[in-house]
Amino acid sequence: MILRRTLLLATLVLLAVLIEVSVLAPFPWWGATPPLGLVTVAAVAYVYGAVTGASVGFAMGLLLDLAPPAEGTIGITALVLTLFGYALGRVFGSDERPWLVTTGLTAAAGGLAVLAGAALGGLLGDPRVRWDEVPSMVVAAAVYAGVLSLVVVPFVRGISRRVVPEAFPR
Amino acid sequence: MKDVRRARLILAILVLTSITFIVLDLRAASGGPLQPLRSAAAAVIGPLERGVTTVVSPIGNLIDSVSQLGDQSERIAELEAENERLRVELDTLAVDVARVAELEALLGLAADTAVDIVPAQVIAVGPAQGFAWTLAIDVGSLDGIDVGMSVINGGGLLGRTVAVGPDTATVLLTVDATSTVGGRLAGSSQIGIVSGTGRQDLLTMQLLDPLAAISIGDVVVTFGSQGGRPFVPGIPIGTVESVTGTPGQLTRVANLIPYADASTVDLVGVVVAAPRTEPRGVIPAPAGE
Repeated sequence: MILRRTLLLATLVLLAVLIEVSVLAPFPWWGATPPLGLVTVAAVAYVYGAVTGASVGFAMGLLLDLAPPAEGTIGITALVLTLFGYALGRVFGSDERPWLVTTGLTAAAGGLAVLAGAALGGLLGDPRVRWDEVPSMVVAAAVYAGVLSLVVVPFVRGISRRVVPEAFPR
Repeated sequence: MKDVRRARLILAILVLTSITFIVLDLRAASGGPLQPLRSAAAAVIGPLERGVTTVVSPIGNLIDSVSQLGDQSERIAELEAENERLRVELDTLAVDVARVAELEALLGLAADTAVDIVPAQVIAVGPAQGFAWTLAIDVGSLDGIDVGMSVINGGGLLGRTVAVGPDTATVLLTVDATSTVGGRLAGSSQIGIVSGTGRQDLLTMQLLDPLAAISIGDVVVTFGSQGGRPFVPGIPIGTVESVTGTPGQLTRVANLIPYADASTVDLVGVVVAAPRTEPRGVIPAPAGE
């Protein structure tokens, strides 16, 4: 069961990163790129809880920091997504919440993650951070995260039930 | 209670690992202990990104062409007008070109200044939230690509390669806030430093001569680096949009509109600069008199 769960989560992480950088990012979106990685971490945290949320957040963030064409400081996205995975799993460890709650939470996380990334980059002296762009980025990322969560959260929930049914006793 | 403690322990370990990565990466300006990690990621994830792009790009092209059907005819009229204008420009340019060719022949320069280009497809883009303007392209060291090569597209200079995997490479765009390029005003040959601003439609150029005459619409081309790496000379960068003469500052700053549109690039060319084969000749002093 642990092996199957790990394989499932690893596949989800890899797919989310590839789709984010190769499919979503090349389009000129308004404000920000839809944060599929973050939304996937949120969905995993809702289904599996804080520990898995933090671990998947770390793996997702590290992969986003490393996957070409990433040029930023390695570890920033990993740190942000670890904290968000933990926090979102902690706030509610059960996946039986209505979609309105998950959408609202994911949207808030999407906006906050941009803010956290920019603040961390700014603190570490990244010359690229442009604060005049951050407000529109936060709004855009929150909206995109909310919309994505409508699809991603049910998908992760459904596929988890199918692949590792033992983890969800009825 | 035990569960909560275990969760906190795992969280602490992951957070500390992240911070360790950040510190290690910040301390080492280039390379460093995390370089193998980056290389491994490029070698493994690069081909996957390539695969995803191969599957997805036909769909994207279809969406593009459908959404652009409306303004196609307008676009054709525009291009015809531009074509006419360029033809006139080209005719006047021919005189200058002939003169340059003569001078080059005189200097014994290798006449062949054409650069070799490896065409490449964009396979991934850095998310906008990261503030970095970077691309991943589907050529790498196996195709003869190296770190520090100019990358161009139909418009002009796009950027340079900053990391190379076996079959992918990372391009730092000229508009990235950390990018600087030596630039030259095509008309007056004034030189300056062209820096990215982090905005896709704006570059700034600091002219070294505070009295340099710049006018709006002037063309800026690359100055060129030693050995053509990372920048080969003479590639158009952008046109001057406005000039901010700041009194008290030793240099003047011009705002440029880049030729290459960074937001919608698809195909690019990597300049595999051919080394000059003929050594530069010496012009002997005129005999007699």
